[in-house]
Amino acid sequence: MSTQNQNGYMLLYRSDEWYEALSHEELQKVINQNKAWIDRLTAQGKARPGHALERKGAIVSGKNGRVLFDGPFAESKEAIGGYLLLDVETLEEAIAIAQSSPSLAYGTSVEVRPLAEECPLDVRARELAREEQLVHA
Amino acid sequence: MSTQNQNQNGYMLLFRGTDLRKGLSPEELQKVTDNWMNWFKRLTEEGKAVAGNPLEREGKIVAGKDRVVSDGPFAESKEAVGGYFLLDVATMDEAVAIARECPGLPYGIRVEVRPVAGECPIAADIRAEAQFAQV
Repeated sequence: MSTQNQNGYMLLYRSDEWYEALSHEELQKVINQNKAWIDRLTAQGKARPGHALERKGAIVSGKNGRVLFDGPFAESKEAIGGYLLLDVETLEEAIAIAQSSPSLAYGTSVEVRPLAEECPLDVRARELAREEQLVHA
Repeated sequence: MSTQNQNQNGYMLLFRGTDLRKGLSPEELQKVTDNWMNWFKRLTEEGKAVAGNPLEREGKIVAGKDRVVSDGPFAESKEAVGGYFLLDVATMDEAVAIARECPGLPYGIRVEVRPVAGECPIAADIRAEAQFAQV
């Protein structure tokens, strides 16, 4: 895997509603830790504004665009609860930041994904076109 | 739908599905890509899309108290996120209507439509509880 990437990284936070089980004090502690953490990254120019996502929404699927309003956005441990965009150049640095997330201690997991400069589909379509040209050449 | 579906902070579309690059002919792939880029361009011109990016089909997952790093199933999984748009629209209805235009839908892509929270919903919960306790 190439670890350099000029386009930055996206952190996707996945978890169920773990915070429902915490006491008021514990919760306030996590919130303060999290806020201080994000403020520091932002001040260092490493994070762009991120946001939590509401625990509701819809899923659209299929040729006819069927809409399902009750997604598993609250219960599932795989549900995405928020995101952060990082302006760092290597996967290693993005991972190190992900590892410093305060909410990891409470069972969230963090997906670290490089942002693509160009749509990967487009790149692949060009590759295929080139391969076909070679075959016909 | 009622006004409770209003949201000043916009909506996020998350595109989920297996890697479209497998199983499509070069022509089909080019068509989907072109349609997708034109769709994003139009939404941007209309002021409805404010950001968007494809994600590389690679990356890592960090989890647990020990902060263990592992490889993710980003290429094979039907649940994998392949990209996102941030929409500056005010209602869930409008966000869903845009999601239904996604050129990837006929090819098995699913679009998750999520309201973006203005502040951390956990912090909002706490404040609401504190207010309730004072009453």
